Amino acid sequence: MIWRTATARAIVAESPRARTIVLDVPEWPGHRAGQHVDVRLTAEDGYQAQRSYSIASAPEQDRLELTVELVDDGEVSPYLIEELRPGDEFEVRGPIGGHFTWSVADGGPLLLVAGGSGLVPLMSMLRHRAARGSDIAAHVLVSARGAGEALYREELERLEPRTGLHVAWTYTRQPPPGWTGWDRRVDAAMLDAVGPGPQAGAQSFVCGPTPFVERVTELLVDAGHDPRAVHAERFGPTGG
Amino acid sequence: MDVLHTDGNEVAGVLADVLAVDPTRVRRRCQSCRDEQPLAAHLAFHGAGIVLRCPSSDDVAVRIGVQGDHLTVEWRGTYRIDIARDAQVARV
Repeated sequence: MIWRTATARAIVAESPRARTIVLDVPEWPGHRAGQHVDVRLTAEDGYQAQRSYSIASAPEQDRLELTVELVDDGEVSPYLIEELRPGDEFEVRGPIGGHFTWSVADGGPLLLVAGGSGLVPLMSMLRHRAARGSDIAAHVLVSARGAGEALYREELERLEPRTGLHVAWTYTRQPPPGWTGWDRRVDAAMLDAVGPGPQAGAQSFVCGPTPFVERVTELLVDAGHDPRAVHAERFGPTGG
Repeated sequence: MDVLHTDGNEVAGVLADVLAVDPTRVRRRCQSCRDEQPLAAHLAFHGAGIVLRCPSSDDVAVRIGVQGDHLTVEWRGTYRIDIARDAQVARV
C-alpha cells in the first residue's frame, strides 16, 4: 500500500489535548466509516515514526479529517498536536481495515461505545448516518474522564436526524458542574439502560483504550450479545 | 494479560503489503484451539517486532518483523486462513 503526502489545510481544537486535522490527500481513494490511516513522520536524520489514527470525517465529506489526542510520551501525537501548522505535510497510507466499519447499507440497530478518543471512528459512522439522512437506530455511549476532554459534544447534540439517535455520556473523573447523569465506569446496568438489548440483533462497535475495550466487549457478550456482532478496536494503554 | 497490546486492526497497514485482501477481514483458524477469528480480533503485541496472538488461546498466531526495507511474516500457529473474495482491496 503506497504512502501519500497529506497537507494540513486546517486545524480545529477539540479539547485542550485533542485537535482535528483537515487534510488534502491527492488521489485519496475514499473510505468507509470506521477505517483508519497510518501516519508516518520522517525526521531530518531519516528516523521514521508511525502510528495509526482513526478517520473522523464521513465518506461523504470532501476532505479527510483525523482527530488526534495527545499522548505525553508518544512519538507522533506530540508533533501533530503541538507543532503541526496549516500547510505542513506528512505521509499517510490507507484507508485501512474493513472489519471495524459500518455503512447505512449494513442496517442497524447500532450500539456504539467509546472510551475517550475511541469516539473518533464512531463519529465517522454517525456523520455518515447524518449525511445519508438515515434514521437507523443508533445508541451511543461515551465514557470520558471529564467534560473538558469530551470530544464532539456540541455536534452530537445537534446531529440529524434525531429520530433513532440516542447519545448518553458518563464522566468517570470530573463531570461538568451540576451533572446529574452517570459518573462511573461503564457497567452492565449502564449498557442495559443504553440499549439496544441482546435480542435486537444490534451491530456493536467498541473503541477505546485496551482495558476499556476488553471490559465492555466482555460485558456485552455476558449480556447475551452475539460475539460475531461485537466489533472491537483497541488502541493500547492510551493510544499513540 | 497486560494492557499494552492493541489488535489486528492496527497492524493491517503492515500486513496489507503481503496480502492481496483486507487483512482485518482474513479469518484465521488457530492451530492450538481451532477457534476461527478475523485478524482484526487478534491481539497485537509490540516489541522488537509485532506478535499477533489468538484471542481465545493466547497462542502466537503471526509474527511480523520490519527491518529496513524488509518485511518478514511468520504464519506460525495458523491452521488455515479464510479469505472472503469481496474483501479484496484496490492495489493503489
